[in-house]
Amino acid sequence: MSDNGKRKLSRRDFLRMAGLGTGAMLVSTAAKSAASRQAMGEISDPAGRIQRPWWVKTVDQPTIEVDWQKMQRYNERTGTVRGPGMAGYVGQDEVDRLSAAAAKNELQRMLDNVEGYTLKDQALSSAHSGVGKSFLGPQEAKTPEERGVPKWTGTPEEAAKILRAALRHFGAATIGFIELDDNTRKLIYGVDPDGKELVFTNDEFASENDDTRFIPNKCKYVIAYTVQMSQETMRRCPTVTGSQTTSLAYSRGETIQASLQEFLRGLGYQCLGESSTNALGIAPAFAVMAGLGELSRLNRLVTPEYGPMVRVFKALTDLPVAVDKPIDAGIMEFCKRCKKCAEACPSGSLSFDDEPTWEVRGGWNNPGHKAYFEDSVSCLQYWREQAGTNCGICFSVCPFSKKDRAWVHQWVKAGSSTAPALDSFFRSMDDAFGYGTQASSEEWWSLDLPEYGIDTMQST
Amino acid sequence: MTDDITIEIRKRSWFEWLAWAVWLFLEIFLIQNAISSGQELEPRAASIFWVSFFVLLLAGAIVWFIRRGK
Repeated sequence: MSDNGKRKLSRRDFLRMAGLGTGAMLVSTAAKSAASRQAMGEISDPAGRIQRPWWVKTVDQPTIEVDWQKMQRYNERTGTVRGPGMAGYVGQDEVDRLSAAAAKNELQRMLDNVEGYTLKDQALSSAHSGVGKSFLGPQEAKTPEERGVPKWTGTPEEAAKILRAALRHFGAATIGFIELDDNTRKLIYGVDPDGKELVFTNDEFASENDDTRFIPNKCKYVIAYTVQMSQETMRRCPTVTGSQTTSLAYSRGETIQASLQEFLRGLGYQCLGESSTNALGIAPAFAVMAGLGELSRLNRLVTPEYGPMVRVFKALTDLPVAVDKPIDAGIMEFCKRCKKCAEACPSGSLSFDDEPTWEVRGGWNNPGHKAYFEDSVSCLQYWREQAGTNCGICFSVCPFSKKDRAWVHQWVKAGSSTAPALDSFFRSMDDAFGYGTQASSEEWWSLDLPEYGIDTMQST
Repeated sequence: MTDDITIEIRKRSWFEWLAWAVWLFLEIFLIQNAISSGQELEPRAASIFWVSFFVLLLAGAIVWFIRRGK
């Protein structure tokens, strides 16, 4: 630097300072990143809501149109996966043919040592063992009455805060709450997958018999929560290896539900859970209403934090909690232009329509809202006849299915949310950068993945 | 008789400083994404970011070298 009264910055000094500045910024970024992954601060929100990025906006209505007058409580036995399932749409003979084809393929692929379908992959698949699910829960935790103390009381915000803390502790990723009203009550199934009716009553306590599950009207608070899946495992889809993150998330969801039910019992309240996988109510709908994400072209939930890489669960409680609102993170708008999942779907089951529609594709869809309805029958036929497992390609190719280490992901999400005109460009770049491409199942066994294959610090 | 020597000092214009600041910012952005993409097991994205980083670095070096001669 010259020293002539005033200090002037030479080119050399500037470059030196620039180099130092660059280094300092990189070091501070790395340190901040490391610090944020090491120690979390206290949550300032009274209801324990996590701080979300600025581009995730809270809105009064979800980003899809809902006609509550048209909507009816859904009979889950009309779905393709559970209950009578496929047989109701294609006949038992076709179901038997598909099952036989799946069994034959499974054996042949094991004998041929086909990558992703080997004995070790099948062994991994059959290794998942959950604690089981029930509507009323394990009912083993001591109640306040049994402890000789009054039940826990607090404000709805405090209740939401401790439930969020407990659920995160149990393994949930994101948590939201809604209060059932005449409209949202329609999101509770009319009939559960096992054929039992779900009936609201004025009873004090929930109960069930051989035909019916009784939900007290006072159990009107819905707890919706997600369990994160592994992007790295899912990108092995459609193979047995790839599908394991789905099985694992459901298995973890079982444990979390039982723990939640016991926690609320311990506080002195009821918690009514799913009696089996995906029972009780329409999971994506509750998640959308509780602000966990938006409905997408997959006709599934896509979250700002994890994209579609989550499984959604729900429970009912009579503990009053502070409720949440839907969000608008630009996800549905992005889906309108992207269509990557529909292009990648091997069975052509996903919609290519530019706009969501009121018209359902079949009895497996619930009318009363606009959506990109999927052809569940052709999807399931592909599962059985070709994939030999559940598919998941649409999840793995979704541009929102990213890990969040690289800055570019957050920037693109923010850009998409604020400037939808850039969505087509972002989609093209997603392809160009090789995101969403299938990876080797054999290589998966050599990866140094964290527990459950997920990054529990993602989005924090 | 003495020879006069004239030393011309050119003040760098504000937009040139701004251009260098943008260049620096892009370099930081690219190297962060390059390293992180490697950690994310996204080899193609990592390669693109690394190539972009070095191309921009080279471009900056060339511009700096040319302008140094003026």
